Amino acid sequence: MASEHATVLVVAEHRGGKLSAATAEAIAAAQQLAAPWQAAVHAVLLEGAAESGLAAQLARYQLAGVLAARHPALAEYTPEAYTQALQEIVSRRQPRAVLFAHSYQTRDFAPRLATRMARALFGDLTALRVEDGRLTVSRPMFQGRLAADLVVPGEAPAFLSVQIGAFRADRAALAAAPAPIAAEMVAPAAPAAAPEAPFQEAKQAVDLTQAAIIVSAGRGIKEAKNLDLIRALADALGGEVAASRPICDSGWLPMDRQVGSSGQTVAPKLYLAVGISGAIQHLVGMKSSRAIVAINKDREAPIFEIADYGVVGDLFEVVPALIEAVKAAKAGG
Amino acid sequence: MRILVCVKQVPAKDAPIKVAGDGAWIREDVAYETNEPDAYALEEALRQREAHGGEVVALTVGPARAAQVLREALAKGADRAIHVAGDDAHRLDSYAAAEAIARAIAGEKFDLIFTGLQSEDYGYGQTGVVLAELLGIAHATIIMQVQPAAGGVRVKRELENGYFQYLNLPLPAVLTIQSGINKLRYATLMGIKQAKSKPLATVALADLGVSPSLNRQSVAKLYVPVKTKKTELLEGPAKEVAAQLAARLKNDLRVI
Amino acid sequence: MTTERPSLEAAVVIVGAGPAGLACGLRLAQLLDEHREREPRLPAKDSIFILEKGRETGAHLLSGAVLDPSALDRLLPGWRERAPIEAAVADDAAFFLTSRRALRFPITPPPLRNHGNYVVSLNRLGKWLGEQVEAAGLTIFTATAGARLLFGERHAVIGVRTDDKGVDRRGERKANFEPGYDLKTPLVVLAEGPRGSLTKQLLGRLGLAGPNPQLYALGVKEIWSVPAGRMPPGRVWHTMGWPVPRSMYGGGWIYGLAGHRVSLGLVTGLEYHDPGADPHVLFQRFKTHPFVRRILAGGEMIRYGAKTVPMGGYYSQPPAAGAGWMLIGDAAGLVNSQRLKGIHLAIHSGMLAAEAIFDSWRTGDPAAVARTYPERVAAGAIRRELWTVRNFHQGFERGLFAGLLNGAAQMLTGGRGWRDPMLARAGHLRMQKLQAAPRHDWSLQPDEQLTFSKITDVYHSGTRHEEDQPPHLIIHDTDICNTRCIVEYGNPCQHFCPAQVYEMLPAEDGTKRIHVNASNCVHCKTCDIQDPYEIITWVPPEGGGGPNYEGM
Repeated sequence: MASEHATVLVVAEHRGGKLSAATAEAIAAAQQLAAPWQAAVHAVLLEGAAESGLAAQLARYQLAGVLAARHPALAEYTPEAYTQALQEIVSRRQPRAVLFAHSYQTRDFAPRLATRMARALFGDLTALRVEDGRLTVSRPMFQGRLAADLVVPGEAPAFLSVQIGAFRADRAALAAAPAPIAAEMVAPAAPAAAPEAPFQEAKQAVDLTQAAIIVSAGRGIKEAKNLDLIRALADALGGEVAASRPICDSGWLPMDRQVGSSGQTVAPKLYLAVGISGAIQHLVGMKSSRAIVAINKDREAPIFEIADYGVVGDLFEVVPALIEAVKAAKAGG
Repeated sequence: MRILVCVKQVPAKDAPIKVAGDGAWIREDVAYETNEPDAYALEEALRQREAHGGEVVALTVGPARAAQVLREALAKGADRAIHVAGDDAHRLDSYAAAEAIARAIAGEKFDLIFTGLQSEDYGYGQTGVVLAELLGIAHATIIMQVQPAAGGVRVKRELENGYFQYLNLPLPAVLTIQSGINKLRYATLMGIKQAKSKPLATVALADLGVSPSLNRQSVAKLYVPVKTKKTELLEGPAKEVAAQLAARLKNDLRVI
Repeated sequence: MTTERPSLEAAVVIVGAGPAGLACGLRLAQLLDEHREREPRLPAKDSIFILEKGRETGAHLLSGAVLDPSALDRLLPGWRERAPIEAAVADDAAFFLTSRRALRFPITPPPLRNHGNYVVSLNRLGKWLGEQVEAAGLTIFTATAGARLLFGERHAVIGVRTDDKGVDRRGERKANFEPGYDLKTPLVVLAEGPRGSLTKQLLGRLGLAGPNPQLYALGVKEIWSVPAGRMPPGRVWHTMGWPVPRSMYGGGWIYGLAGHRVSLGLVTGLEYHDPGADPHVLFQRFKTHPFVRRILAGGEMIRYGAKTVPMGGYYSQPPAAGAGWMLIGDAAGLVNSQRLKGIHLAIHSGMLAAEAIFDSWRTGDPAAVARTYPERVAAGAIRRELWTVRNFHQGFERGLFAGLLNGAAQMLTGGRGWRDPMLARAGHLRMQKLQAAPRHDWSLQPDEQLTFSKITDVYHSGTRHEEDQPPHLIIHDTDICNTRCIVEYGNPCQHFCPAQVYEMLPAEDGTKRIHVNASNCVHCKTCDIQDPYEIITWVPPEGGGGPNYEGM
């Protein structure tokens, strides 16, 4: 029921002094959810005692306020400290819903928080709908081959985390004047052991499931040496190279680049299928991609049925032209 | 170290999955197999036992057919197995499944509990974390390496965007194991033979007081995701088409 | 590199957990239970090894199927209450199809009458039989293929080597390599099904065959979920005629299963002249006939599979046993091609084999089975049944009508027919070269709703193989494919394989080369049978790979 006292909390995520890209997506989702409830959206920031510019960054969005919870135990993320701090805040603020981005970090602690508060985390959500007074959410199942609708029980708070990329960061409304920032008291216990500093490492195998953009090659490229074209396009777009099974079977690319029922299942922001016909074995591995572009000279290729944009043409002409056009579009601003 | 490994039976990865008539679940006439992430968790547990001694216990929550994944775990080298059985066990959500596991192991003391990162059917990825909360013990997710250390274990955790992190955890702890961190072993003929004489205890879900009525989240409807957008076909000279496509990528899809 | 291999001693090794192998194992367990107290020196149950290359029992079992219950009644009285049955046969009919019409036979031909029989899923029946075998105290070693027979002096079989696991596509060991076991045993029971790889190895090495070579047909099958009432459970329909060309042997089936499902398929004889013949195309076309389309309208295809069937009958049977080996079931060619039934014969033969083996254990003379098992087969119901149809399939060498006439003649003469024995040439030798062969139209544009491409169908067979392994379809000389066959026969492997394993793809120099998609293989054995140059050898891939024929 609509109530002027209803609140929705959205938990910000940050690393190295910067808000994560997905935080804005979660804010957009929170704003969308709050509308039918006429609820006030507050962003929650957990950080160490020292003030950073993060609260001010959050305050730029259209929010009722930013709750900045600062405590030494929150200087580094740990599941225990985050869980305790958020439990305090949620108990105090009694929101109708708490939103997160469904990041690795959220997955690491939010189920624990929800369980502690006698709730469940509804995670990896692609849609939120308030209908007939009920909140219904959608999420993928069976690795994206099917989708599921779940009804979120009415007892506040609901814990919801939205799939990365399902909500558009640019739809998070900004405010004309900064939202008020309030210090939020929390007293989490110091964690048993502090985690060591994060470090980067070249991974043994490429994890295509983490790539935002994938350029994928199929039989249509004809020869191994034509993969250079694919790599060039991937570079221009800032994406990863992948392939359908025949390419990996022939040894032209290692098997960790294979997308399909016997390879990886991916759902990137953009999947560009070059010379791929769209056999069902391949489709099940990529059809949940947010956007699909297909280049194939066969108009009847099944890939076009699931593509958002299809180019019927010779990839050996289209791809070089596309590389140039992408570079120009990026430079042009 | 005594390690409990939670393994789940799921529809085979390549199985052609179809929604059952009423939209409440999938057609169950598919082939089933061990959830692949759980196979990696089991492999890691077996390696830990090989390196540091101890016991590996495999546990599953599932209908009668799920005993198969336990037999496979025993054939690969697990010492004993526990089957928490119920006809509708596959309808439990992460919370109810974690409750079932917690109650089933109430009399036991494990140093480590491994689960796979997530299941290939629901994919909630929460059971391990919820279980840690119910047991009141430490946890860490997406673990790539486990080493005994003073006071517990030192684990390597995967973060987003190619970052990793080491942390120390006290025991007992729940670890959800990343896939692909090792090469899965095969069950040998001797392993299959020996599996038959290893203990496999069955506990009824009902006897633990757990059923899907405990679920905190339930699937209301299952369906094939329908593409709402229509396909826009671009045709013409390569340069023009490329320019149009680049414009779409920039302005509509916002990927460049 | 020589491999250190673990070895185990076995009292008997049964290769294949299909109805024959499982019946053999179960009967042995029953006999051991019956007699253990009085004869404590009988082999222990854990010295009986049943090997199954599929990931689980039943995974590679596929058939129509209509089961004659006679053998199961002997093996497991009371099975009807406990085993998974789709339906008792309620009504049956046979139809002759033209391109537009379906003409019902006023009287169902006696061999196609199925009253008293049961519509079953062989996969599910096999799974259930496997459970009975395990409950009886035997172990089925799934995901374990029999890779090679081990021979001793004078070609006696002394054991089976199981498959190596963890070998990469170049033949190198991976980190999880496990060598296969050498199972040493005085007796190997080959229950591999049609065109078994060890069976082929054995018969080839010993130069054994029947008076006729074995003849085969390829069955291509789908299971559909259809609106309620469309095809009631237990309805058994058979068809002949369209779309099978008159010069070819073939026919269709449509069976009503439980749960609003239909089993349907088409069997094509692998003895045709036209090298372009494509049994998968024939089956897809079959579904477009108004008679069939009506049944499937509004339905959904849920499973696909294909498997060969031995059709040669009595005169194509190889010797049933020898020094250290026995053949049972389809591996022994025990199929009544007129009734299209072999499951009951497989079970019968498995039981007879078990009884002969058991007797040899009691008398302490394992070698005796080479004599006593064939004697039991020759004296019993199997021989009686196959004798009466001994000249059935051979009659179709000259096409459908000649075959039907011959069929009628041999029915009236107690199996003798025009000539007894009626000799036959191997099917693959009847394939004619492109220039000489009669050509039919094999084009098909699948609509992916009623008709499907091979690739879509393979997806619905649940087929999966470890990708990084040596190819299990060995072409002994690809130059023949690329230079001779391409000209002489037009590479028929592209057409007769129902899983699109073989393709001729353009190479860098513009010529076409043979390309093998081994991962698609559904283990039907058609290529091993039908390749006109006999240069394809099918060997088992790493155990556990292959189709997953749930419900088939």
